[in-house]
Amino acid sequence: MPNFSRRAVLLQIGASGLAAVTPGAALAQNRYAALDTQPWSYLDGSEARFLASMADVLIPEDDFPSASQAGVVDFIDLQLAGPYGQGAGLFLEGPFADGTPEQGWQTAHTPASLIRNGIARLEDGGTRLVDLDANDRSAFVERLSKGEGFDLGDVPVQTLFDEIWALVKEGYFSDPIYGGNKDYAGWEMIGFPGAHAYYTDHVDKNAPFPAPPKGIAHVPGTGRSADTARPLRAQTAREEG
Amino acid sequence: MVRELPKTDVVIVGAGWTGLAAAKELADAGQRCVVIERGDWRHDASNFGAPEEHDELKYARRKEHMIDTQTKTLSFRNSSDQTALPMRRLGSFLPGKGLGGAGIHWNGQLWRPLPSDLKMRSHYADRYGEAILDGLNVQDWGVTYDELEPHLDFFDRVCGTAGVAGNLNGETKEGGNPFEGPRSADYPNPPMKASPPLQLFQKTAQEMGYHPFQMPSANVTKAYENAYGAQLHPCTYCGFCERFGCGYYAKADPIICIYDVVKDHENFELRMNSQVLRVEKSADGKTATGVTYLDERGQEVFQPADTVCLNAYALWNVHLMLVSGLGKPYDPETGEGTVGRNYAYQTLAAAGVFFDKEVWSNPFMGAGALGMTIDDFNGDNFDHTDLGFVGGGYISANQTNGRPINYHPTPPDTPSWGPEWKKAVRENYLHHVGIVCHGSSVAVPGNYLDLDPTYKDAYGQPLLRMTFDFPENDRRMSAYVLSKAEEIARNMDNVRAVSTVNRAAEGESYSVVPYQTTHNTGGAVIGTDPTTSVVNRYGQMWDHHNVFVFGACLFPQNLGYNPTGPLMGLAYWTLDHMKNDYLQNPRPLMDA
Ligand SMILES: Cc1cc2nc3c(=O)[nH]c(=O)nc-3n(C[C@H](O)[C@H](O)[C@H](O)COP(=O)(O)OP(=O)(O)OC[C@H]3O[C@@H](n4cnc5c(N)ncnc54)[C@H](O)[C@@H]3O)c2cc1C
Ligand code: SF4
Repeated sequence: MPNFSRRAVLLQIGASGLAAVTPGAALAQNRYAALDTQPWSYLDGSEARFLASMADVLIPEDDFPSASQAGVVDFIDLQLAGPYGQGAGLFLEGPFADGTPEQGWQTAHTPASLIRNGIARLEDGGTRLVDLDANDRSAFVERLSKGEGFDLGDVPVQTLFDEIWALVKEGYFSDPIYGGNKDYAGWEMIGFPGAHAYYTDHVDKNAPFPAPPKGIAHVPGTGRSADTARPLRAQTAREEG
Repeated sequence: MVRELPKTDVVIVGAGWTGLAAAKELADAGQRCVVIERGDWRHDASNFGAPEEHDELKYARRKEHMIDTQTKTLSFRNSSDQTALPMRRLGSFLPGKGLGGAGIHWNGQLWRPLPSDLKMRSHYADRYGEAILDGLNVQDWGVTYDELEPHLDFFDRVCGTAGVAGNLNGETKEGGNPFEGPRSADYPNPPMKASPPLQLFQKTAQEMGYHPFQMPSANVTKAYENAYGAQLHPCTYCGFCERFGCGYYAKADPIICIYDVVKDHENFELRMNSQVLRVEKSADGKTATGVTYLDERGQEVFQPADTVCLNAYALWNVHLMLVSGLGKPYDPETGEGTVGRNYAYQTLAAAGVFFDKEVWSNPFMGAGALGMTIDDFNGDNFDHTDLGFVGGGYISANQTNGRPINYHPTPPDTPSWGPEWKKAVRENYLHHVGIVCHGSSVAVPGNYLDLDPTYKDAYGQPLLRMTFDFPENDRRMSAYVLSKAEEIARNMDNVRAVSTVNRAAEGESYSVVPYQTTHNTGGAVIGTDPTTSVVNRYGQMWDHHNVFVFGACLFPQNLGYNPTGPLMGLAYWTLDHMKNDYLQNPRPLMDA
């Protein structure tokens, strides 16, 4: 299938008209280029591109935005810079041992250092995830999800995958005040009306509840939430051709 | 230097449901009460308002209302041949902290034990012969349903419980739970509204010959003035219930139901941000002299008291006993000792029901205790002959937690991420309900709590160590009850697919990672025999008569029900005996 990777990239680009006139290889180099100009709080550009590539395999674009289009990379960046990423809520006293899966998180890393070190080791040497074609990116994520064939030193592979996947879902579906779920993308997709919740008159009715989502910082009349997460950032991570 | 304060009558460790109930009852009885709570002050009126409280990331994922493992956690292993490691992150259970304890972020599923549950050993032995209990530490509670009933009823009136009585003074009532013990009075409030999936479950369960009823709920359905004169308001089905505080005054919690009516009492004093380190004992070791705690500035303080009440939650009560040398620690090698013995949990399984587009479940409309339940397979409500297990569980279609980050039901065989996952989440979110099997948990000699030899908490104290796996008995029970739930699911109308999950499935070990329930029980159990219980039938420690113990640590084994109704029944029973007997004449209330 000589054309497969090009086709995959075109699919990946989705509705972007530019895709038809730009060669696939060049596209791959520029994928997520906009991320380079972001004023990151924790991530650097290459980490952001890795996370965007991985997030968009986990939640790809269809009729609804992909993870990165919905601001998931911004969300992850802010989370890793904040208390959660820095280890709040994690008991990190030693001694450390691998433990069983039933014993849960046993690495000495904070989530932020787990992800930083994990990405560095995954990207060490070989082709960067962002440069793989869609098929290979999926295969990579598939292997990572099973923990197969990686040795990341003191970064447990399964924990790394689980943590990133949890963050991606959180970024896609949490209130937009945290920088993800941009324009209520995740909530629109499933039909969740948001934080303003009063259902006494409807709960026993077998009928849809077609209310547009409203977040905690909803701006009346706009269909949007105020960008309280990072007012300086106008644009979220977006794939560009 | 430890600062010593003037003596008080009663010191109470913990300001949750049991601690505030103790303070209210004992303050009214003329006892000067000091309540010591390690967490922050907070209030429904000022801290839990919508929309800010409706923040799933902050409260349901980052768990801001719950304990912080950096200051309080335990170590865990499945069996004593493993090395226990710290539970570094919250998961399987979510103990509370702060005013109201876990009572502010509970669901409000408010149950009573069955009469037979409270005499589990003698009941099963009589009906099936002793052999059915081989290898199990199943025990009688030493207190009967009839003795607890007035106190269970009182707690219903503290919470304004919504439900349909199934047994009113011995008379079976239509629409209620026909298996329950006799109630002396009806529920204070009518049941919750039933959502479409609950209506379908009810219809099918009825057709199959079962006895569905609306789950008893402390999400109040009408404006209600409780037994203490506090005011509650109707639930809005807001869907941000368990893990969240209720800003609508609709979920009965210890702050609005009890704290507000005791806070100005001359006999009540509350000290927040204060961590009790240990209970101090007299020179002869027979009584407690008070508690030592770290005050809000981190200074060590000794609070002397005539009577000590442990209301720190099941796990932390046991921890306090172990670090203070109260009672005799359990030794799994010899079977001797009682503190830490009979730790049990809750055995959960569930069937997921995927409807076609005709049925709108709208899972974001929900409440912590919105459920349609059958009790036909709980306790000994069914014949256990030749089943190979004791106990059971209720089966309930629940509409409680359909929030967008955590709730992504997908039919069996859907990939767990990627395009097909995304499509399946989109198509099923509004058309799904979960049917929970909320199973009992027997006590066995190998499941217990003690102190960890290696790991220490922020105060330099050894962590509590939990050794637990699902006993074979409960694996068989869970598989059986789940098969019944699955049958109901498949018989329901408009069902496209059914999925199942069983936390106690054969071959799988208990894990502290996925949330199951905050129903940790046992470790300081109630009874009439000091060799198998830590407290006598009045909740008084056998070894130290001025220490009274509250909470689910008292359960000799866990019920198929949520614990708060039963443990509050026990709390008011203990308080009754303290007020009307012990405090006039402090002494052991039973001979050892
Ligand atoms: C998400 C969730 C849902 C639940 N849903 C239900 C339900 O639907 N039905 C049901 O029956 N039960 C439910 N529960 C369980 C219920 O919350 C508990 O049974 C109940 O709160 C126990 O009350 P308690 O007074 O024993 O302990 P808690 O409410 O936990 O209060 C104990 C207090 O003691 C304090 N404390 C502990 N140690 C110390 C110390 N050393 N020094 C000072 N203070 C200390 C803690 O900070 C805490 O505030 C749920 C729990 C959770 C977390
Ligand atoms: S569902 Fe009802 S009881 Fe629960 S938090 Fe919302 S309003 Fe309160």
